This record gives sequence, C-alpha cells and structure tokens, in this order.
Amino acid sequence: MIKVGIPRALLYYQYYPMWKTFFEELGAEVVVSPPTTQAILSSGSSRVVAETCLPVKVFCGHVLALAGECDYLFIPAIRSVKSNIYNCSKFLGLPDMTKAVTPESPPILDTDIDINKGKRELYQAIYKLGRRFTWNPLKVRRAAIAAWQAHLKYMQLMSDQGLNPPQAIERISNTTEVEPKTPPDNPTPPQATIALIGHPYLLYDEHINHRLIHRLEKAHYKVLTPEMLTTEELESATVRLVGGAYWTYEEEVVGAGGRYLESGADGVIGLMAFGCGPDSLMMDIVYRRAARLGTTPFMRLTLEEHTAEAGVVTRLEAFLDMIQRRKRRQAEVCV
Amino acid sequence: MRIGMPHMGNLYIPFKALFQRLNIDFVIPPVNNQHTLSLGVRYSPEGMCIPFKLTMGNLIEAAELGADTLLMPAGSGICRLGYYAKTQEHILHDLGYAAEIVCLGVSSQRKLFGLLKMIKRLSNNAPWAKIISAFRFGLAKLNAMDRIERVVQKVRPVEQVKGTANRLFAQAIKAIDQADDYGTLKRVQRDCLDQLNQATSNGNTQPLIVGITGEFYVLLEPFSNLDVEKELGKLGVEVRRTTFISEWTKFSLFLNPLGMNEKDRIHKAALPYLKRDIGGDGWESVGEKVLHAKEYDGLIHLAPFTCMPEIVAQNIMPSTKEDIPVLTILCDEQLGKPGMLTRLEAFVDLLKHRRRAKVKT
Repeated sequence: MIKVGIPRALLYYQYYPMWKTFFEELGAEVVVSPPTTQAILSSGSSRVVAETCLPVKVFCGHVLALAGECDYLFIPAIRSVKSNIYNCSKFLGLPDMTKAVTPESPPILDTDIDINKGKRELYQAIYKLGRRFTWNPLKVRRAAIAAWQAHLKYMQLMSDQGLNPPQAIERISNTTEVEPKTPPDNPTPPQATIALIGHPYLLYDEHINHRLIHRLEKAHYKVLTPEMLTTEELESATVRLVGGAYWTYEEEVVGAGGRYLESGADGVIGLMAFGCGPDSLMMDIVYRRAARLGTTPFMRLTLEEHTAEAGVVTRLEAFLDMIQRRKRRQAEVCV
Repeated sequence: MRIGMPHMGNLYIPFKALFQRLNIDFVIPPVNNQHTLSLGVRYSPEGMCIPFKLTMGNLIEAAELGADTLLMPAGSGICRLGYYAKTQEHILHDLGYAAEIVCLGVSSQRKLFGLLKMIKRLSNNAPWAKIISAFRFGLAKLNAMDRIERVVQKVRPVEQVKGTANRLFAQAIKAIDQADDYGTLKRVQRDCLDQLNQATSNGNTQPLIVGITGEFYVLLEPFSNLDVEKELGKLGVEVRRTTFISEWTKFSLFLNPLGMNEKDRIHKAALPYLKRDIGGDGWESVGEKVLHAKEYDGLIHLAPFTCMPEIVAQNIMPSTKEDIPVLTILCDEQLGKPGMLTRLEAFVDLLKHRRRAKVKT
C-alpha cells in the first residue's frame, strides 16, 4: 500500500480530516508525524535561513521526521481558497521550499489550489493528484466528494460542540463513536473567559506555545478559540474591521479578534509568530481596535524559537491578574 | 486638493512633471532621511518591513506639509504591499491627519487605463489630450534618468577620477528635474552621457560584475540599502540590475496587455527550483540567480527584513545547480553602514579569488 505522509504542522489543523479521507478512499495509507518536540523543531530550524518564521521551521522538522516513513509527502501549494484573496508567500512556495531545504524528503505531491483560476482548474488539480493512485476518474471523484463531506463534518463538529481541532480530529479518528464529552464537573465555575486568537498551527501546537490552553484551563479559565465561531460570525466581524479580507486565513485573526473584543470574552490573547508577514498587519489591526474600543483587554504574545516558557508564564499571569482585578472592580461597582 | 506621495528613488521627478503640467498642487516630502525613518519606525507595527516604515514616514511628512490626498500602490495577490494603504490610512487617522489615501492599482489587469483615469480624477477632469501629453513627458523624464543610471553603473568602477560618475549623475538628475521641454531633456541626456564617456579610463580593465536582485523597493530606494550600488562602485565592481522603474512601466503599462512579458525568461529559468509565483519578487530573485550564473561573478540579493517572498527565495537559492556566490543583505532600520561595508569587502575579495582561480585553470 502506498503511504502518504502528512506533516503535523501548518495546515494540518485545518484540513487533516479532508486529506486523510481523500487518500484513504484512494486506497493509500496516511502517516502523520508525531506531535512537535524540541528535537523536531531544532532539526527543522537547522535547515532554513534564520529569518524564516517559527511555523515553517516546525514544518520542516516534521518533514524530516517523516523522511523514510512514507512514499510520498503531501504538501499542497494553497494559493487561494476564496476569490481574490491570496495566501502568504510561504504557503505558496511551501512545496518548492521543502524540496530545496530537505533533499532527503520523499517525492512531494504538490497540488496547486487556486480558486481564482476557476473550478475547472481546481478539479483538474484534484484529478491529477488522484491519478497517482488510480486510473479511474470516478474513483477520484468519489474520494474528493467524500473528503469534502469529511471536511464539512469536521467544521460542524468544532462550531457545534465547541471542540478545538485536536479534539475534533481525535473524535473523528476514533472509530467507536464516543459520547459527546460533557465538561468535567468543575466544582468552581470558570474564573473568566479568555479568547485566544491566531492561526491553528500556533494555538494547538503545545510545544511552541508552551501549553497555553492547558495552562488556562488548569487555572479554571474558559478558553474560546476562533473555530468556535461560525463562518458567518467570522466573516461579518472581518468586514466590520477591515471591510473585506485580504489574506486567506485572515478571519481567524481579524474576524475572531474583532468578534471576541466586542462580546463574549473577558480578555483576548493574540498569538503570533515572530516575522509573520500577514499577522504583523492583522494583529496590529486587532490591537488598534482593542485600543479604540477600550472595553476588553488585549495582549499580543509573539512566539519564536527562543521564547522561554518562564517569559510566557509571567506575561500570562500578569494578564490574568489584571483581568481578575477588573472583574472584581466591576462587581463592586455593580453592588 | 493637495497631493503627496511616498518616495522611491527618483520617482518623484516624473510625477512632479506630470502634476505640474496638469496644474495639480503636489507636495514632495523631504527625501528619505534618518528623521523619516524614525517617524516611520515609531508609528508602524513592529514586524513590518522597511518599505512600509519608510513610506509611512513619507506619508506623515507629506500630511504634515498639508497633503490631503496621498497616493500609495495597492492591489491583491502581491505580498503585504496590497495591505499597506489600508493600514497606513488607519495609522494616519489615529495620528489625527484627515488625509485620504488613493490606491494606485499595481496588480490589476488594466493598469494604464486605471492610472490615467485616476490622474483624470485628480486633475479635476482635465481634457484627455492634456493628460496624455503630461503623462508622456513624465515618462520621458523617467526613461532619461534610467538610461543615464545604466551608464553610471558601468562607469563607476572604471572612472579616472573617483566620484565623477556619481557627481555627474546627481547633476543630471537635477537638470532633468528642471527641464521643461523635450529639447532640454534630450540635451541634458546627451551632455551627461558624453561626459560620462570622457570620464571613463581607457585602460583595458575588466571589473568584477555583480548582479543585484531582490525586492523592488529596496533595490530602487538607495536610502533603504545604504547606497549599496555606490559602495560597490567604490570597490571597483560593475553593478548589473534588471529592475528599473522605466522597465516596469514599459512592460506593465504597455507591453503586458499585448501579451509580452519580460519576466517569462526569468520565470522559466526558475522553474526547476520554484514552480510558481509566490508574490512579490521572490520568483524573479531565484530566476536571476539561475539565469545569470554564467554571466556574473556574484550576486547580491537585497531583501527587507521579514519579507515573505524573499525568505522563500533565500531558502531556495542555495540549492540551485547553477553555482554563483550570493550575498543576501537584509535591509531594515538596524542595518548599519560599517557592518554592510565589511560584508561587501569580504564578498568582493571572495569574488576576486574566484576569478583569479578561474583564470589560472
């Protein structure tokens, strides 16, 4: 059986169920790299120039972890998934860059996804990808439809049940349907609600963000993430802030940030990677919005290889203390 | 209505000529200097690239001079540049300037017509004939400047008296700026080229040839790259650059709509290593390395710090089969002249060694 490797980094968190379904329907086996470790990060960052952003370094590490474990690596070049909205250059050049910096990687399946070229081109790209596994165009079509269904189910699972991508992927992967998880009966109600905004590959990679979600939950905070909002909510908030998106994954920063600053959260934390092109502008827009509204505290956390755990923890504690104080004062005013 | 726009090299000269002929009130902010940079750095998001920060500084200074309509390039599918105008307008408003930013579409299909239509709007509906003649005159100035600059690049390493080429170039720019008819313009150009010819030493020296490629703005704005071309000239190196504004206008405005693309050759050269456009000038950077590996002694790759397309290009460049030394210089507000000079000198030394070794074999 042909083995297709998918690195557990970057767009894995958005599209894994879709990709997995597609390749499995075509009779391939899907291999995923293990969760990020320091060794993976170090091996990845030793290959690329220093200015490359953290998520791409992590990605290269995952590619190296998969070398020798699979026959193909699936690294699509996702140019745009909505008309006239384009992706960051690093996503556009990802397959070429991976090939250049990790010569030992297995052959790369580099499908171009560009919605601007029209549906025909998109279908052809998918068919060309499927042709590696089967001669039968109908089988490719069936696999693509099944993959799209899987993606829709995945999205719905997250927005309906308030799951984050790793939880939802786990739920989908378990063949036995587990009971919808009821939150463990916390004797103490959550102290406050914190919204985390940023790209999934930063929010859910526990190694690079120093287990931020886990820390917040352990301290009895309710954590909200961009996936818990519906697409409509995200889009309408994006339009309010910037009047239409410019980047492909803008909603999860600008849309979610705008929405949570307006309502639903006691504080918003924006996670970004140092040197991230799109985020340098988008986080700034959210930050300006927060300053103008003046209602919800906002903190930017910039991550890079050298981000020390103690630094993250200190800033987090200070932020949470401030939120506690605000809440207490508001309660006093109300009384 | 008073119009202002950010600097990029000598681009203000053709625009000044254009607006003057149409009687549009046009202010030119001070040419890029340390104060502009400080202003830009202070009010820009920290992770932004140097083109954003410098243009931000220019826009603030233009608004300070009373400009209420600011021109900025914008468009979709071209790195962060497409988002500059929007963000810079936010920042200006937060600072209390009520200026409006008008976007110059640099990625749309019908650039020439869009540009002319915008000029018509700015000129309060001047007749088309007047607009086109003013536009032509602006273009003539642009072409004259670039023609001279190409020769200056060749003369710098071989001039008899050091500094002549730069002095003549500065004089020519000033004269071109002041010229107000085609005749004067032609004379200025001819005189300058003659003088440059005379300044060249007759010896049969073969200077090292260094290509210079990378991101559009840092290539064309000497303040952002700390005059890297002049410094290379001082070191006795002939600089070759394919990026000129006049080239850009020639192709983007006139020839691309006819289906001609000067970049096809460069893109084709890059194909084995980079199969697709990644926005900005990343594809061209890789292509130029491949294409000119045989022709040049070395390549200097200029990129703004945190530039997305150039980082991809920088990662891909070392893996090409075509072997030519590449020095990447990242430009930002932290770039210091002594540091850059040391690196340039070391690079030029390396190229000299390589050439000597090549001659021996």
